[in-house]
Amino acid sequence: MATVSLQGLTKQFAGMTAVDNLRLEIADGELVSLLGPSGCGKTTTLRLVAGFLQPDGGEIKIDNEIISSSSILVTPERRNMSMIFQSYAVWPHMTVAQNVAYGLKFKKLAKADAEQKVERLLNLVHLEALRDRYPGELSGGQQQRVALARALVVEPKILLLDEPLSNLDANLREEMRFEIRRLHEEFRITTIYVTHDQAEAMVTSDRIVVMNKGKIVQVGSPREIFDQPKTRFVAEFIGKTNILVGRMGKENRVSLADGLSVTVAQGAPAAGDGEICVCVRPHSIFLTGDESEARAMADSGYNLFPAVVQRRIYFGDAVDYLLEVPPHGALLRVVSAPSRQFEKGQKVFALAHPDHCVVVGEG
Amino acid sequence: MPAPEAESIGRMRGAGWPGLKGWDVTLPVWIGAALLLVFLMVLPLGAIFHASLWDDKGLSFYRYAEVFTEEAFLKAIWNTIIISFWVGIIAVGVGALLGWLVTRTDLPWKKTIRALVMASFVTPPFLGAFAWTLLAGPNAGALNKWFRALTGSEESLFNIFTMGGLIFVMALYSFPYVFSMIANVCELISSDLEDAAEILGANKWQIAATVTLPLALPALLGGFILAFLHSLSLFGAPAILGLPAGLHTITTQIWALFQYPPRLDLAAAFSVPLLLVTMALIGLQKKILGRRGYSTVGGKGGQKRLIRLGWGRLPVLLLVLSILSLSVFLPYWILLKAALSKAWAVPLTWDNFTLNNFSFAFFQYGDTQRAIYNTFKLGILTATVGTLIATLIAYITNRNLFRGARYLTFFALAPLVVPGIVLAVGLFIVYTRPPLVLYGTVWILFVAYLTKEMPIGFSQAESTFKSIHPELEDASRIIGANRLTTLKDVTAPLARSGLIAAWSFIFIGVIRELSASILLFAPSSKVVSVVIFDLKEEGQVGVIAVLGILLLVVSFAVILAVNWLAGRDVVATRE
Repeated sequence: MATVSLQGLTKQFAGMTAVDNLRLEIADGELVSLLGPSGCGKTTTLRLVAGFLQPDGGEIKIDNEIISSSSILVTPERRNMSMIFQSYAVWPHMTVAQNVAYGLKFKKLAKADAEQKVERLLNLVHLEALRDRYPGELSGGQQQRVALARALVVEPKILLLDEPLSNLDANLREEMRFEIRRLHEEFRITTIYVTHDQAEAMVTSDRIVVMNKGKIVQVGSPREIFDQPKTRFVAEFIGKTNILVGRMGKENRVSLADGLSVTVAQGAPAAGDGEICVCVRPHSIFLTGDESEARAMADSGYNLFPAVVQRRIYFGDAVDYLLEVPPHGALLRVVSAPSRQFEKGQKVFALAHPDHCVVVGEG
Repeated sequence: MPAPEAESIGRMRGAGWPGLKGWDVTLPVWIGAALLLVFLMVLPLGAIFHASLWDDKGLSFYRYAEVFTEEAFLKAIWNTIIISFWVGIIAVGVGALLGWLVTRTDLPWKKTIRALVMASFVTPPFLGAFAWTLLAGPNAGALNKWFRALTGSEESLFNIFTMGGLIFVMALYSFPYVFSMIANVCELISSDLEDAAEILGANKWQIAATVTLPLALPALLGGFILAFLHSLSLFGAPAILGLPAGLHTITTQIWALFQYPPRLDLAAAFSVPLLLVTMALIGLQKKILGRRGYSTVGGKGGQKRLIRLGWGRLPVLLLVLSILSLSVFLPYWILLKAALSKAWAVPLTWDNFTLNNFSFAFFQYGDTQRAIYNTFKLGILTATVGTLIATLIAYITNRNLFRGARYLTFFALAPLVVPGIVLAVGLFIVYTRPPLVLYGTVWILFVAYLTKEMPIGFSQAESTFKSIHPELEDASRIIGANRLTTLKDVTAPLARSGLIAAWSFIFIGVIRELSASILLFAPSSKVVSVVIFDLKEEGQVGVIAVLGILLLVVSFAVILAVNWLAGRDVVATRE
């Protein structure tokens, strides 16, 4: 069990800054995911932690001991870590059991102990029946389980996962998300999880670190990241969102173009002339065709937008609307339950609570 | 900064490797590679330029003037261009047809056909040329005798000792290069691309003209250049078939300049155009093949439907087999017959049967015994050293172990642009004089072979490491294995069959080498190919056949062994 501390971590490749002055504290037993688009520096960060790369600046500390800096590099094999790779990296020339047992070779265990550990892990990932198969004979999901067992059997202080599910098909991916969370709750190993899939990060993580262009944009619990994105980038990267552009006025009111205005959540910046963005999630907008209901809700503080349905897409478990808001036809996306449906061209009322209208910074 | 603490958990100095900190790690590699380049390439090529320009009296260009004005030399250059051009055309025609048939149609016996193309590839061209002198020599050639027996005519149907005959034989042993190129491309072109054109209303011929052919065009051009280059650098076939007809090519002319009285300076000057043309063509080929990425041709789920030949299946198969009988069946048959007969031109009956050729070659004739020993010693030595160097360079460049590592690729591939005989001219000039006199020993051959085969070994090692995902090594590092243990437990077992293939490619390349050996051998360092060439002068047909069969059998045995090993590994490493 261990804490991880990244202090001003910086890494450059051929003059390009891949990781830029990163600061992050990870608590013992915490699962933190690094989330961001490809090229944001998340995998580089992970490889720095693993010791495959040496930082150009800053330090990495495990339990307050420096293991990486521009002058110090503890080799990967001496870091007591495990890693799961995007390609699984299961050794094709070893059987399932040999793959899992490999890391124990370096632990100086009694043979019986080692065998028992391998057995236990194979059971845990439901691979006991396939122990003598070669990886070439396994499905992608089974190979991923081998990789998991191989990483966990050495009882690492820190577990690193590099897009572990991105090569799996959709159903399996969803199943494996829960599996990873289940294993984390069982072992409570400090874990860093790199992904570009926000749903994966939401399901598995205690905290999410959103990265962009080598920098940390926001750190928080999945709920904080989703409900209170700090920047437009975070809002748009995590889930679908409407971005309304306007100017901050008094009393938390933002005046939008087209003469509309919207009341936003507490904690918005002071009034000013600069352009700001308001993030409203399609899920948090309520739709009704009943004008009196809409008026009543507007009186209790909801933002009200009378609108016309321009497009409707039926998803089975939800309906996705695109609304046109008069007078100038601003577009608003709304996702609502299928129990109540509105036709194309129908006049509707969209209502959003100020708490769900969050001012976000550009960038 | 708590440096002492960090010390206690183990620090690795110079782990960043680039820059001053790592000089001690990378310097030996650079020095080694540079020395290699100097010894294998810079010295011989420098010697060629030097010998062609300087003598006791200083700098002069008269040798070039002589080479480019004297009619005999110009004639040799012209012959070479004509021959190589037609060899290129025929090789592309045959190679492309076979490559396409084997990959895109429902032709039967594809595996057999591939194996036979492989056999043509493995057959040394000089051996094929020799076999064809027995088949289509104007008087005693077997085919001509059949013709006379069938028609009662006094004429002979074929005369292999002509420019046409020479082109024919060289094309037979050049087309496999085109074949493998076209087959690879055809396997990448998915039927979807053709279907897309069909749905838009194109008919079969329009599809072929607008989709398939343009996609294959770079490979066709590349194949032409490859075959052209191959025939440009051949020595054995033109010497065996052209010289009796008084037909010189550049390579035979260079060889002639080495005969008594030797004119090394002229040979050097005459090598330069060959070198420059080869460099230019390889550059051109790279450009043509590099421009359009075939990776886009691939794509996911590229389905390949096989084109039905229908009633044409059997005729097409017969056509293919008759082409291959020209490069494989007929030459092998006549070699076997010659090896087992007292008189090769007479039908093989019990009276004519003998094993004397074998016992003579293997046990009685000192020259062949020594040559066999030299050939296999050099083959094993070159293959082993070459594979080691190629593996080291390929691993360093592929894993980018330090900054600028990929420039090492250049060191390994540079010999590609030097034809064997040109290399030999350079090596001869360098190593017949102090400080390092290698001439007269097998070591000058070793240097020549190592240089010539390095690109092949390197390419094979490179693609081997390319296929081993670096994460497989990372996975081992992170759970506790150090660099060496990882190499031993993960990299080595996965690279094994690929590196064995590299070894065998080099080995086969060495034991069939003639064009460099013919200038570099000394009486005590003769190799099999040279002895075959010598015995040709003496008319020792039976012994030549025995030695040829020996080369073929060993080559095929090595290939089979590699396939068997690779097949065994495939079971475990299938992705």
